[in-house]
Amino acid sequence: MLNKHSLSTLATWPWAVLTPVLLFVAIAIFALWISPYDPTTQNYSAVLQGSSWEHWLGTDYLGRDLLSRIITGAQVSLVAMSIVLIAALIIGVTIGSFAGYVGGKTELVLISAIDIILSLPSLVVALAFIGIIGPGYWSMIAALTMAWWANYARMSRAVVTSELHQPYIEAARVMGASHLHIFVRHILPHVLALVVVYASADAGALVLAIATLSFLGLGVEPPTPEWGQMLVDGMNYLEQYPRLVVLPGLALTLVVSSFNLLGEHFALKKVPRGLTQRHLKILKRLRAQEEARISELEASA
Amino acid sequence: MLTLIARRTLLALAMILAASALTFALIAAAPGNVAALIAERTAGPSASAELVQSIADDLGLNDPLPVRYGRWLSDSVAGDFGGSLRTGKPILEEFAERAPVTGLLLVCGGAIALIMSLTIGMLGAISNGGKIDSLLRALSLAGASTPNFFVAALLVMLFSVTLGWLPAFAGSSAASWIMPCLTIALFPCSVLSRVVRVNLQEIMSRPFATTGFAMGYTRLGVLTREALPNIAVPYLTTFGAQFTLMIIGSIVVETVFAMKGIGAFFIEAIRFRDFISMQATLLSFIMFFVFVNLFVDIICLLIDPRIRRQSNA
Amino acid sequence: MNKLKKEPLFKVKDLVIDLYTEQVSVRAVDSVNLEVNAGEILAVVGESGSGKTVMTLGPLGLLPEGVSVDIRGQSQCSGQDLLNKPARELAKLRGENFGIIFQDPISALNPMKKVGPQLASQAVRLRGVSKQQGKEIAIELLQRTGIPDPEDRYNRYPHEMSGGMLQRVMIALALVGNPKILIADEPITALDATVQAQILELLKDIQCRENIAIILITHDISVVAQMADQVAVLYAGRIAEYGTMEDVLTRPVHPYTKGLLSSVPDLRSKRGENASGPAGITGSPPDQSSLLPGCRFVERCPVAQTFCSKFRPPLEVLPHLSQRHFVACPVAVESTIEQMEGEAYEQ
Repeated sequence: MLNKHSLSTLATWPWAVLTPVLLFVAIAIFALWISPYDPTTQNYSAVLQGSSWEHWLGTDYLGRDLLSRIITGAQVSLVAMSIVLIAALIIGVTIGSFAGYVGGKTELVLISAIDIILSLPSLVVALAFIGIIGPGYWSMIAALTMAWWANYARMSRAVVTSELHQPYIEAARVMGASHLHIFVRHILPHVLALVVVYASADAGALVLAIATLSFLGLGVEPPTPEWGQMLVDGMNYLEQYPRLVVLPGLALTLVVSSFNLLGEHFALKKVPRGLTQRHLKILKRLRAQEEARISELEASA
Repeated sequence: MLTLIARRTLLALAMILAASALTFALIAAAPGNVAALIAERTAGPSASAELVQSIADDLGLNDPLPVRYGRWLSDSVAGDFGGSLRTGKPILEEFAERAPVTGLLLVCGGAIALIMSLTIGMLGAISNGGKIDSLLRALSLAGASTPNFFVAALLVMLFSVTLGWLPAFAGSSAASWIMPCLTIALFPCSVLSRVVRVNLQEIMSRPFATTGFAMGYTRLGVLTREALPNIAVPYLTTFGAQFTLMIIGSIVVETVFAMKGIGAFFIEAIRFRDFISMQATLLSFIMFFVFVNLFVDIICLLIDPRIRRQSNA
Repeated sequence: MNKLKKEPLFKVKDLVIDLYTEQVSVRAVDSVNLEVNAGEILAVVGESGSGKTVMTLGPLGLLPEGVSVDIRGQSQCSGQDLLNKPARELAKLRGENFGIIFQDPISALNPMKKVGPQLASQAVRLRGVSKQQGKEIAIELLQRTGIPDPEDRYNRYPHEMSGGMLQRVMIALALVGNPKILIADEPITALDATVQAQILELLKDIQCRENIAIILITHDISVVAQMADQVAVLYAGRIAEYGTMEDVLTRPVHPYTKGLLSSVPDLRSKRGENASGPAGITGSPPDQSSLLPGCRFVERCPVAQTFCSKFRPPLEVLPHLSQRHFVACPVAVESTIEQMEGEAYEQ
């Protein structure tokens, strides 16, 4: 869990699973400076080129630099994903906490609505919303937010319900603290601690959803570079120029795996696992050295 | 036991009602009047206000929402989903043509995912920390992270373009089904094999697994005899969830391989803003999700003796 | 020791067990020697974490998964080496020679399986009988372990039975293969006080009738007094004191044993204390994750000398008539011998 304590001990952070994600975030943030060309500038004198010194990964059918498009695609994905995640968190935590805090009939109605949304796969909910409000970048964002908030609402409500019964809340209430004060000071931190970690593990699924919607032509629209949409563009050139499909697909897979790896790290911590052979060997050697040192000490005494 | 099943079934029906009412209300609130859309399609952009009005009257669009919902639901239950705004064909006819495609895709994909995930999860548990375990772990992580349209593209590249073994688009031949089924199975298979692996590992550290060892079984014996029956409930629950998620897989796969299934129909309906088809498809999806979950719930009830016996008493 | 004595049924020699996880490396068992003969009850006593379970179940390959185990030394059952056996043969040997009873029968029985058929299939496997005979054996075993109405219980699931009944099932399961050795790991700790006595009675009864050896792992001195022939007192993975029940309980020598005994107000009391440690000894058990020279008890020991933290105390035999009372504390041994000589002189 991330809390103030572990923030101060950077050494204990899971760097192995964190590094790929941070690398992706860095590329996305500095996309403008890293990418050698403008990702949307067409160049008809350099169409469908292979890799060269000018274009490391070649160019696409409109002569746009593929490397620049992939780098900018990272930014597009990250931005869209962050907007959705933050919006869904705000909506989810607000509605869920409200339901849990108020209780009674309001809670019942809200939780039923949440359950209905959760009984459908998120992407189907998102597709239904896009169907209603029409395709486009912002409707994709809105649709994904509508599909994702219910998860966090449900979780927030569970935390609020369990926290409300803690004795210290009673104590605060007896001492005359207002509802808002109790909620913000005592309950919200618990909600956020759980939900934010869970949401970070959701990032991979969200990147995948954005790419899928764009692939279906219902998300990010051309000419904005987005990996899923680049891939569907490249499908027409699959036979002659497979890299137009493989490179964006690979970028997408790598980013999603790194998020999933991070999510797995949080989710699977509790299951006991045996050590790997190599790790065990090292530990055994250390122990043998320790043993030798002790017997030497005992002999010399 | 029976009352428990009956209660779950009632709950499922209530769920279908609530979910369909919600979608109906949302679609009714959508910008863009259905009547105007129809008028535009039939008479072109210069459709008169009277035409729109008469179409709305014909469809009963001016009635209050609950009345419309009731009418729509009773028609749908009777099999009359109305006509597609795009093709004009009755939607029931479209469903009858397309459902077998999606159904076959789901069943084949589900079967592949079932068999492969149990095999892979078991192999991982047998290897337990060995090279095979690490390899399978990495593969299932990759499988769960690769978008299925990319998987489809890679398969086409390998089997159609390079090797020329399989057709790149769906046809009537059995061979043309291989790539769609593999594509749709990869994601659930990866997730489920992790579920098998992790749950087996967890159960192998429980005291009754040690009892199994004490009874004179080898690790393989304990895994198959003691651990495997105990992962049935978590496995089936996840399998149900993954099976419903395969609807999304089918939407993508049907689009990539140009298959005429329900998923492709849904996407076309969204693109053409064909609200009537969308509504009908969503209803069928909701029913599919709810019934799969109900089915899994009931099987879990039947499998787990702790629940089964309690409800008898 | 008597050199003509026949080979013991089960013995461990210079047994060292290290447990490794990602966080810590623990020396759970540190050079332990023990023997059990046929028809004997050996009680292994110690606080939780003293290595009593690891020592007994480790050589049989019965430690829970998730921890990596490194075992060195020797461990034999009827002359067969346990430590270098292939997994398959070790599993066979476990099934045929050992019966094991665990602390908490509710979690130690597979929740998805009916108790009777479990016993029956085990009988089919280990005794090579037909399915019908297997069922008969199962019912007979349920009867023999004192389960009323065994035909009815045959088809029950574990969650449908009480803890005491389940422990009887556990014992029946351990007896199916006609084992030579029964290992009972805290067999009564998880049970109600009234049931505890019955289960001990049953174990004693089985041991008398079948003439099998029992290794009884417990932290409860009153259980030891009631059951044991031999006692091994374990502290931090090492044997502190080892001998016959009379010697160890009535003439304790090691300061740890003394503390352990003084913390028991009445030997007939059935309620033992658990993880918190015996009241007669101050402090808590040492951290076993790093190796240190000297005696492990030194920090809590009332008679500790400076050299105690420099040498590992050897296990010395006391000059009783039995010649089988071993103590790993030179300070206590010396003073005891002086005392005994003094008594002899007075007489």
